Amino acid sequence: MKKMTRVISAIGAMVMSAALLAGCGNSKGAADAGSSAAADSAAVESTYDLTGVTLMSDGVLSVGCEVGYPPFEDFADDGTTPIGYDIDIITEVARRLGLEVNIINTAWDGIFAGIDNNYDVVCSACTITAERQESMAFSTPYISNYQAVILKAGDTKEITSFNDLDGMTVAVQKETTSDELISDYKSTGTIDVEIVANEKILSCFTQLDNGEIDAVCVDSTVADGYLAKNPDKYVYAYKDETEAEQFGVAIGLQNTALKEAIDWALAEMEADGFIQETYDYWFGQAE
Amino acid sequence: MKNFLKGLVDIKHWKKKTKITWVIVLIVIAACIVLSFLKPSEADMKAMASPEMQEMIKADESSSRKRVTVTYNSLIIVNYCSFSTSGAKEITERYVGFVGKAFQADEGFGKFAGQMVNYTYRMLGCGENILHGAKLTLFLTTASTLIGVILGTLLALGKISKNKILSKACSAYIFFFRGTPLMIQLFVIYYTLPAVFGFAWRDLFSAADTQAVYKGAFIAALIAYGLNSGAYCAEIVRAAIQSIEKGQHEAAKALGLSYSKTMRLIIIPQSVRRMVPPICNEFIMMLKDASLVFAISLMDITTISKNIMTSEISYIVFLPALVIYLIITAFFTWIFNAIEKKFSLYE
Repeated sequence: MKKMTRVISAIGAMVMSAALLAGCGNSKGAADAGSSAAADSAAVESTYDLTGVTLMSDGVLSVGCEVGYPPFEDFADDGTTPIGYDIDIITEVARRLGLEVNIINTAWDGIFAGIDNNYDVVCSACTITAERQESMAFSTPYISNYQAVILKAGDTKEITSFNDLDGMTVAVQKETTSDELISDYKSTGTIDVEIVANEKILSCFTQLDNGEIDAVCVDSTVADGYLAKNPDKYVYAYKDETEAEQFGVAIGLQNTALKEAIDWALAEMEADGFIQETYDYWFGQAE
Repeated sequence: MKNFLKGLVDIKHWKKKTKITWVIVLIVIAACIVLSFLKPSEADMKAMASPEMQEMIKADESSSRKRVTVTYNSLIIVNYCSFSTSGAKEITERYVGFVGKAFQADEGFGKFAGQMVNYTYRMLGCGENILHGAKLTLFLTTASTLIGVILGTLLALGKISKNKILSKACSAYIFFFRGTPLMIQLFVIYYTLPAVFGFAWRDLFSAADTQAVYKGAFIAALIAYGLNSGAYCAEIVRAAIQSIEKGQHEAAKALGLSYSKTMRLIIIPQSVRRMVPPICNEFIMMLKDASLVFAISLMDITTISKNIMTSEISYIVFLPALVIYLIITAFFTWIFNAIEKKFSLYE
């Protein structure tokens, strides 16, 4: 008899916890992405002819994205809705092509290997580089970016070029162009710098807060976003205006029809000011 | 120890199998030594660069922004040298040196061999200090397992002690560290504690030390892994102690031994044999968990191989990684087996 009671109470506990979990699921409802520019109107009749464009699933543009790189892509306060500049751009591209958009959150490591396997395109602050262009195609660029150096507020070191980082400990996000750039300065012997490579850009800024490192080298667009949110924590030390980097949507090499479609949508968005408007919203007016 | 050495010298009485093993090992070592003398020198390898590349290297000498990366890796019997430029126009030249000759390694088997040498070199952490690659993995795993065993024994004794407060405190410790993920413990120790208490791990070392940030991160990792391993080892030790028959306790008591003497002289020595296999297990788990240090900017074997995969879009990098892990595991399994054998004389 005693055994029976135990079994019943165990089942009871399971049912209770299942009910609790279900309760959690319901609270999501209508998540407001808080984004100004993302058009939430019903899909417009697209004027673009999509014949010849192959997608993983019909009528849906699957987008690989490493969500966690604000202000390009980040989760809204509800923790599930991806928001950000890239998300707005790619959503609008899909809308103008008459497609639904499906954001697939994935790790940055190996993100490009997933094109045509897990998603159609990658839109995740990807810099267009010659090296990457060998293995994938890129759309026309939708934003320009520079490399920047950020110091802790109150640090008076003067930095006029990357050579001034000599002898410092600098954090970068792993496998980003900042990482490649500073690593190149180090491996060629130009400067002697300790590189701390982190999985997330947030780790770099936390290390700067905690005094573990001296400086962060990061995309100027990301730096703009962080500085706008924490103006008294960090200072802009240097921005390399000489070498602009451009971000594009990465597409499989074979998928030329899709590349043409995305290029067409981006050109339209540039022409009617959508891109500028979105930029101003996420990065502030100054540019 | 003396008997062991005597046995070693007395080759005539060795088992046949041991003899064959040693002969093979010696032949391999001798071959490696010969081959290592035959491989081309660093200067020879660097002279292999094409005239165009030589010119660029020369131009770099007077430039404040150098463009050419010269990589030279030497791995016992082979060496690898590459010259690469970054930027839009990318030029890479690779050479592999073996038995007195340098081979071009830009495609085919040469490229594969070059990549293997380069990847293995990077994953082993050659040319870097102890906090990189395989060295980090090994150092962190052994040090934290040692801390874990010592801490675990103390915790286990605390948990089974008759003192209620001590017992509850040790149980709470074990519950906490087994009940939370190692990754989050690592984050808390490395990021949260310094932010709350206003210190930096790097400040434990001199400011002039450029490696201070890694050393600081390593200390944090060692603390996290040691504390975590302590909790797991505590349960292993407790189970082993409690598996010793009650009769042993009673006999010790009858002989008039105190509790501490009973534990030190009777119970723990007998339980060691029973602890060894699960501790070996814990060690191997730890070895693989060491890859979590990527979260606090340290680079172990797994992190380095993942980095190579993304930056070079190469998937063969995982082959040398697997081999390195297997060699480490094989070596430590052998050590743990020897310990187990040594302690089984009680059974």
